[in-house]
Amino acid sequence: MTANRVSRKARRGPWRAACALALACAAAAVTSAQTRPPVVLTDAASTRAVALDALTRLRDPFTLTTNSFVAGADTRTRVMFFVMNLDLLAGEGASALACDAEDSAHRFYKFKVEDVRPVPGFGGLQQVIVRLSDDLGDAGDLLVRLSLHGVAGSRVRISVGHTGGTLADDPGAQPQPAPPTPPAPTPTPAVNPYTGTPTDADAVRLLEQATWGPNPAEVARVKSLGIKAWLDDQFNQPASGYPNMPLMPTDPAQGCPTTAPATCQRDNYSIYPLQVRFFQNALYAPDQLRQRTAWALHQIFVVSGREINFPAWMTYYVQTLDRDAFGSYRTLLGDITLNPAMGEYLNMRGNTRVNPNENYAREIMQLFSVGLDELNTDGTPRLDSAGRRIPTYTQDTITNFARVFTGWNLGPAKNFTNASGVTFQVPNYQDPMIVTRETNHDTGTKTLLNGLVLPANQTAQADLNAALDNLANHQNTGPFIGKQLIQHLVTSNPSPAYVARVARVFNNDCDALYPDGCANQRGNLKAVVRAVLLDPEARGDLKTDPSYGKLREPVQHLTNVLRAVGATAFNNPAQPSDGVLGNRSRSGDLPGSLDEPIFLPETVFSYYSPLYQVPGTDLAGPAFQILSTSTALKRANITNGLIYAGIPTNGDTPAGTSLNFAALDQLAANPPVLVETLNVLLLHGAATDAMKAQVLGVLNSINDTDQATRFRKRSQAAVYLYMTSPQYQVQR
Amino acid sequence: MSQTRRDFLRQTGCLALGAGALAAGLKDFGLVNALAQSTTDYRALVCVFLNGGNDGNNTIVPTDDRYALYTSARAGAGLALPAAGQPGGLLQLTNASYGLHPALPELQALYNQGRVAVLCNTGPLVEPLTKASYQSGAGQKPAQLFSHSDQVAQWQSAVSDDASATGWGGRIADQAATLNGSATFPQLVSVAGINLFVTGQNTRPLGIADARTSLAQVLPLSLTGTTSEQTIRRAAFDNIRALAPRTLPRAAADVTDSALRTSAVLASADATLTIDFPNTTLGFQLEQIARLVKLRNTLGMKRQIFFCQLGGFDTHSAQQVTTNAGQGALLVQVSQAVKAFYDEMVAQGVSDKVTTFTLSDFGRTLQPAGTGAGVVGSDHAWGNHHFVVGGAVRGGFYGTYPTLQMGGPDDTDSGSNPRGRWIPTTSVEQYAATLALWYGLAQSDLTQVFPFITRFSAANLGFLL
Repeated sequence: MTANRVSRKARRGPWRAACALALACAAAAVTSAQTRPPVVLTDAASTRAVALDALTRLRDPFTLTTNSFVAGADTRTRVMFFVMNLDLLAGEGASALACDAEDSAHRFYKFKVEDVRPVPGFGGLQQVIVRLSDDLGDAGDLLVRLSLHGVAGSRVRISVGHTGGTLADDPGAQPQPAPPTPPAPTPTPAVNPYTGTPTDADAVRLLEQATWGPNPAEVARVKSLGIKAWLDDQFNQPASGYPNMPLMPTDPAQGCPTTAPATCQRDNYSIYPLQVRFFQNALYAPDQLRQRTAWALHQIFVVSGREINFPAWMTYYVQTLDRDAFGSYRTLLGDITLNPAMGEYLNMRGNTRVNPNENYAREIMQLFSVGLDELNTDGTPRLDSAGRRIPTYTQDTITNFARVFTGWNLGPAKNFTNASGVTFQVPNYQDPMIVTRETNHDTGTKTLLNGLVLPANQTAQADLNAALDNLANHQNTGPFIGKQLIQHLVTSNPSPAYVARVARVFNNDCDALYPDGCANQRGNLKAVVRAVLLDPEARGDLKTDPSYGKLREPVQHLTNVLRAVGATAFNNPAQPSDGVLGNRSRSGDLPGSLDEPIFLPETVFSYYSPLYQVPGTDLAGPAFQILSTSTALKRANITNGLIYAGIPTNGDTPAGTSLNFAALDQLAANPPVLVETLNVLLLHGAATDAMKAQVLGVLNSINDTDQATRFRKRSQAAVYLYMTSPQYQVQR
Repeated sequence: MSQTRRDFLRQTGCLALGAGALAAGLKDFGLVNALAQSTTDYRALVCVFLNGGNDGNNTIVPTDDRYALYTSARAGAGLALPAAGQPGGLLQLTNASYGLHPALPELQALYNQGRVAVLCNTGPLVEPLTKASYQSGAGQKPAQLFSHSDQVAQWQSAVSDDASATGWGGRIADQAATLNGSATFPQLVSVAGINLFVTGQNTRPLGIADARTSLAQVLPLSLTGTTSEQTIRRAAFDNIRALAPRTLPRAAADVTDSALRTSAVLASADATLTIDFPNTTLGFQLEQIARLVKLRNTLGMKRQIFFCQLGGFDTHSAQQVTTNAGQGALLVQVSQAVKAFYDEMVAQGVSDKVTTFTLSDFGRTLQPAGTGAGVVGSDHAWGNHHFVVGGAVRGGFYGTYPTLQMGGPDDTDSGSNPRGRWIPTTSVEQYAATLALWYGLAQSDLTQVFPFITRFSAANLGFLL
C-alpha cells in the first residue's frame, strides 16, 4: 500500500518542473484520473500574483471598490488572475471554482469566482475574475488560493488597501511565473469511466463515502472490480434490511403479559431491536451503499422513534427507505407519504376536510421535496431584483396541499395473539394508508406549485397522485435532494457545478456529464447516487481545498472504527459482535451520547441541520452542529473505550464487542510500517510527515518486554491517535 | 432593506478581528454600560426554550368577560380550560384579569410576589405590522411563518427576514466578551445541545450534560494505560491536533481545544446546592445551570448566558386540558423546575442578578385541530405569550393581549377559514433587547445585535429593573 504514497508525491513534486514543457503537462491531463492543482501565475521572483483590477487593469494594492461606468452597478472590486492547468470539464465555468483568502490576522474570506475564460490568443491560459468579499477591509497582503474539484493550487499573494503585513508565504511556496513559451490549450478532460484499477487512496476514499467504513478486504475488492463495477455490484445487492415485526397492542400489558419472556418489552416496545439490527447490518452486511443511502434518506424523510415508539411501526418505515433507496424518487415520495408511521408522525393519518392539519403539507415541501427557496439547477438560491431569496411557496400553498392530504387512514386492523393466547385487534401500521372514507376528502379545487390547479371532485387518490407529481417534477427537487445526498456522502460544501451535475442526472438530462443519468426516468436515485460518487469533485487521491470534506457524523465514526480494525464478539475473535452499541439509556448509548441516537432524532429536522454553519466561518458543516465541547471529548473517550476495553456482555448485550487487532499486531514489530499502513487505510495516505512522526514517536516509546503486549499496545495507540485526530474526523 | 442587513453582517463580521481590538473598541466607543465594570457585579440570562411551540392561548387566559370569547373558540372541541375557581380550572393571578394554566401553581405564586412578568403576543417581526398591512402585503412579513425550523431560528436569532448564522444570545456574548476579563470559561453554556441561540460570531458555546453528571465529570478525557503511557499519548494527541489544517479539520480541533481548557477548570470545582431540584428533564438542566452560577467567582465570570430546553410542545393532537398529560404535564415540569431554580438563586444571594425567560417556536392556533379529549390539539401559529422570572423583574403584564376571536382584529386571516393566528404586537427583538440592556449592553450597542430594533417604538419594554 505504500506505493501509492510514493506515486502521489511523484505527481505533485516533479510536476511543476515538467510544466515548463507545456505540451507534456497538457498531455498528462488527458490520462490523469485526478484534477490537477490550478497554477495561478505570479511574478518571476516572488509569490505575488500577476493580478489586475478587472476594470482599471491596474496591479495591486487593490481598492475595495472600483467605480464602474455603469450607473448603479455593484462597485466591489473584481480581481483578474491568470491561471494554467485548469482542468475544466465540458460545460464547466466559474461556478466550479472556489477561491479563499487569508489575511495577516489569519481571518479567512471566501471570494466569489464570477468569470473564467481563455485569454484571447493564449488557449492554455485562463483569466479568472473574482469579487472581493463584502467582509474584507483594508487588509494589506492576502494569500489567495484557487480550487477546482476540491484540489487547491499553491497560494499566491495580492494586497488590498495597502501592500504589506506579517503574512509569510506557505512553506515551500515557489514563484509560478508564466512559462517562456505560451502553454498549449488545456484539453477538456475525458470523462473517466472508472473501469480501470483505482489507486489505494481513491478506493479508500470511495469506501469512506459509500460504506460504513473501509477495511482491507473491501479495499481489495474495489481494486479488483474497479470503481464502476463495484458500484454496480452494490446497486444489485438486496437489502439486508429489517425483518418484519409483529404489530403489537399499544398497551404493553396486553402485548407482553406476565407469561411473556422477560425480553418482550425490550423487543417490542423499545427501539432496541432496530438499533441492534442497524449496527449488525453496518458492520457485516454486504449492501453497504444501500445502507448509507437509506441512512441519508432517513435524515431527509424523518420519522422519529421518539414519537413512533413501537419498533414494528418504525420497521415498516425503515424498510421503505431501504427498498426505495435506488428506485425512483417519485416512488419513494409516494411510499413515504402513505407509510403509516409517517402518517402518524406528521399527522396525515385521519386528516379530514374539516380543519385539515397542515403539518404534513408543510414538511413534505420544506424538507422532502422543494425546500423553502427557489433554486437554480446548481442549488444556489434564485434572487429577486432586490437581491432577496424567493420563497418556493406561501402559506396559501400549504393550505392547498393540506386539503390534498385528506381522507387517508390506516388499513384494516390486524390480529395479535399474545403469549397467554389472548388475541387482540391491533392498528395496522404495516400496510400503506388507504382512503377509508372518500367523504373525508376535500373535493374543492386546489392550487399547487407552478400554478397547477387540481379540478374539483377528484378522488383522494387522484389528488394525491397529482400533488406528488407536482412536487417530484418541480425544478427545485433535483438540486434540493441532490445537494443533500452529496452532503451526506461526500462533502458539506459542494461547488455549484457539482450540484448542477447531480441535479441534471436527477432531471434525466441526457446532455449531462454522465450518460448513465439518462435513464428515461426523472429522479432515478441509483443514477443520482452514482453521479454523486463518480463526480470529479468526489473522486481523486487527495483533496486540498480547505473547505472540502465533511465531519464524520457520530454513527459513521463508530462504524468506521469498528470496520477498519475489525469487530468481533467480546474477547472472542471467532464470533461476530452482537451489534449492541448501547445499553438503552441515553448516557450509555454510544451514538446517543454523541447526540445521534439511532432512529430517535429530536425533531423532524433530524439530528442536525444541513444548513448549519461552522461557527466563525461561512462554511456549511452540518454534523458540526452536534460536535459540542462535550461530545468532542466523548468521541475521543468512546474511541478509547472501544480500542482498549471493548463492550462486555450483559443482559442486553449477549455477545459484546471487541476490536480484532491481530492483523495490526503482525505489523507492529516495525512501527513505520504500522504507521504507513494505517495512514493508507484511515487517511488514504494524506497524513503529513509531521503527523506520522508524532504517531511513530509514541509507538517507539512502547517497549514492554513481552512481545505480544508490546505489539498490541502499539496497535492500540496508533489506531487511537489516528482516529481521534481532527485530520481523520473530517472525511476528505 | 437588504443593504441594511449587509451592513449589519459586515459590522458583526468586523468584531471578529481579535479580542484586543474588540476590547479597545468596546471601551473607546462606550459600547458597554459602565456600571457593568464593578467587581461585585454579576448578571446571568437563562433561556428556557419550550420546543415545539407552546400553546400560549392555554397558558395565559383572560378571566374577565373575555373568557367567554375563549370558551366559544375552544370549548366545543374540548380544548378550553375550566374557569378560575372551577375544579382543574385556571389559576387566578392577583391584581390581574388573567389566570394561568392549572399546571403552573409555582409560577402563580411567584407572580403574586411580583417576580414574574408576562409578555403578551410577542413574535418574530421584520417591522411593525397591522392586520391591514399584513393582508395587503404592504408590510414585510417574516420569512416562512408557521414553520418549526424557521420560527425557532427567528426566535433564536432575532433575525426574521433571512437566515442568520448567529443567535442573539451569541451576539450579546460577542459584545459583552470583555466583561469577563481574562476568564477562560465560556460565557455561553447550553445543557441542551448546541443551537443557534448560543452561537455567536466569535464566541464558542459550551455544551454539557445535565445535573445527572457532576461538573467534575462533565468533560473528562479518558486515556487507558499507565501514567507514563497516558502522558506520552496525550502529548501526541495534542501535538497532532495542533497540526490540523484549515478550515474544517481546524474547526474540529478548536472544539476539542476548548473542551480541554474547560475540563481543566471544572475538574476541581465544588458546587453543592441548597435546593432539591425535581428529577425531570428540565429540573436536571436547571440544576446544572445553578451549579455553574454557584461557581461564578471560582470561574471568574461576570456575565453568563445559559440555555436549557424542554421538548414535546408541538401538540397537534392530544394536547389535553389536565395537568397529568400533554401540555399540562410539560407545564408542570416548567413551573416546578423554574421555581426550584429561583429558590436556589435566592439561597445563593443572586436572585436579582439572574433572569430566567421563556422562548418557543410560535404560538398555536386559537381554533382547535381535531375534536375530543385525548385527540384535540392546535396548529402552528405566530404571536405568543412568555414569562420572565427573577428578582430583577418588575412583575406584571407587558405588551397587548390579543382579541381571542377567529378572524378578529389580531388574526392573520379573515374570510372563510380563519384559525386565530396572532399578528405579534411586540417583536422578538424588543423582548431580547430589553434583556440585553439589563445584561449590560449600552443602548448604542443594540443595532449591532438587533438589526431592525430601531423600527420599533421601544427597545426597552421596561419589565426589568
